[in-house]
Amino acid sequence: MTIEVLQPGIQTTVQDYPGRVGLMSRGFFPAGAMDHLALRLGNALVGNEPGDAALEVALGKAKLRFDRAAVVALTGATVEATVDGEPVPSWQAVEVPAGGELRLGIAKGPGFRVYIAVAGGIDVPEVFGARATYTMGALGGVEGRALRKGDVLPVGEPRRASRGSLDQSRLPAYVNEWDLEVVPGPHASEEFLAEEDVALLFTRQWTVDRNSNRTGIRLDAQRLTWARSNGGIAGGHPSNILDNGYPVGGINLNGDTPVILGPDGPTSGGFVVVAVVAHASMWKLGQMRPGADKITLRPVSVEQAQALADEQNALVEEVRAA
Amino acid sequence: MQQSAVTVKGWADIPPAVLGRREHDDGKPSITYRSAGDRYLLVEYGPMEFDLTLNFYVHSVEAKLEEVGLDGLVETSPGFRSMLVSYDAATVKPTDLVRELDAVHDDLPGVDGLVLPSRLFRLPACFDDSQSRQAVERYARSIRPDAPNCVNDNNIDYTLQYNGLRDLDELVEHVTATDLWTGFIGFFPGLPFMFPVDPRHVLFAPKYNPTRTWTAEGAIGLGGPCYSIYPVESPGGYQLIGRTLPIFDPQQRNPIFAEDPIMVKPGDRIRFHQVSEDELLDTFARVHTGEYEYQVEDGTLDVAAHLAWSAQHREEAEEWARIRDSAAAVTEVP
Repeated sequence: MTIEVLQPGIQTTVQDYPGRVGLMSRGFFPAGAMDHLALRLGNALVGNEPGDAALEVALGKAKLRFDRAAVVALTGATVEATVDGEPVPSWQAVEVPAGGELRLGIAKGPGFRVYIAVAGGIDVPEVFGARATYTMGALGGVEGRALRKGDVLPVGEPRRASRGSLDQSRLPAYVNEWDLEVVPGPHASEEFLAEEDVALLFTRQWTVDRNSNRTGIRLDAQRLTWARSNGGIAGGHPSNILDNGYPVGGINLNGDTPVILGPDGPTSGGFVVVAVVAHASMWKLGQMRPGADKITLRPVSVEQAQALADEQNALVEEVRAA
Repeated sequence: MQQSAVTVKGWADIPPAVLGRREHDDGKPSITYRSAGDRYLLVEYGPMEFDLTLNFYVHSVEAKLEEVGLDGLVETSPGFRSMLVSYDAATVKPTDLVRELDAVHDDLPGVDGLVLPSRLFRLPACFDDSQSRQAVERYARSIRPDAPNCVNDNNIDYTLQYNGLRDLDELVEHVTATDLWTGFIGFFPGLPFMFPVDPRHVLFAPKYNPTRTWTAEGAIGLGGPCYSIYPVESPGGYQLIGRTLPIFDPQQRNPIFAEDPIMVKPGDRIRFHQVSEDELLDTFARVHTGEYEYQVEDGTLDVAAHLAWSAQHREEAEEWARIRDSAAAVTEVP
């Protein structure tokens, strides 16, 4: 079975979860779904394994044709969608007849990325162990790039029949003002940050810069006091350190500009990392609207962050088993 | 905003980032273990100084971890004097992992006796090239018009000023007079972080503030004491000084990429030689047609021999450092 791309939207890519793990020392961040929760839930609804490859559609506005009957689920940002002109709901499995056309309108928000999971999963070849598109390295997905009109995507054999749906009360909350759970980063210590810097970083509200994408979410420039006057031999600015590995979701202070590292971000660099997004909350990065949404950073402990992940995994498992 | 750190909700109850420290002993550097989110630890070696022996030690730890394999350790990502350790939270607690890493460090010898495998690549480079100028011009126009490092739409003038160098020729002399040691790979696929082996030719440069959004493939950058080659078109924060050949090709268009699309490995050395931009672009094209043969030799780096040789040139290196540092002290930082 195949899907033909009639209209690709502004950036539609094949993504999976957890992406390419084990290649950080070679300069690869994992790539994979920017909203890993929506991808996993979508897959669970159509009877796939939670990490199977699906489509990530930034801002919606896409049109696909299915050559054979298929079961799909739309998750992520709210969007008006039709199959052959008939409206279809999100967050539940829906059938597309052979030759049917799935059309997505524009995702007006809250939320930014729509996911289309298809029973059987998108069956592009694995590259370095994953199907996820990594545009920075031009690999994975379809030729390492966003989809174009006329691309034809192979779909795998459905693993099992599924007609899942997700109760409204269980849906992740999509908002325009986000609370983002973060764990202290390696440089959240008095050697680097002044006390008032900590207060500022974790109390003010930040705006998601319009130059935000899968490599990272840029926040507003903010001059800090800093505990030291410069970066010593690593560079003149106190945010500079001798280059080290970055965690996925790390919030680095790039000079005066905080950047939250997304799934296509750089694996290392020479800026302090003051906080790290809890893995369970990484999905929110995928739903933040560039140039519009606001964020408040909410500190949690490692244990609290891991408890959030356990809760989230349990939800995915429950939907998958239903 | 008159608030103290303790008023941040939740922050005060969270354990500090530093999970443990040990002092240096027996030819081994000091170690700091830092928490880095809910799935990572950052292990730092020695003080924040440009000391290649710290990186040699990182290479030896990396090799040891590959050999022993710790439960719950997913992957490691080395830096210049550090190692980011990714762990599976369902298998291991960070405090237990710190204990296990500490035991690995106990078992390792100091750096003096290390002999590390190290190939030598000889790469053509053109300096002050048009693509780098274009990247700087684009940045100065659209991101930060008043950036002191981008005066005259290039980073060369600033790099000269920051290091107290007369002209481009003197810069090229320093860059091409030393092997560059690949401390680690990171940022984007296959990007080598390279450090001058000869202490008489160390240059420094502050990084961009904020960073660039575009850099050409093959661009050579300098940030802190570190050189990089950009393997793909990407953002970047290093001062751009020139351009060399492709070092990453997922399409594997040249035999050098046949086994691995990433050319440079940690521990490899790079030696640049100057060519014109026309010659470089011609060679660039011949890389893609598969005609160009990369110049590479097998070899090793003997740490004891390197230290003895460096000691012989200490005075000269210190004199150069004084000149360089006094120029840096009076140069504006971005």
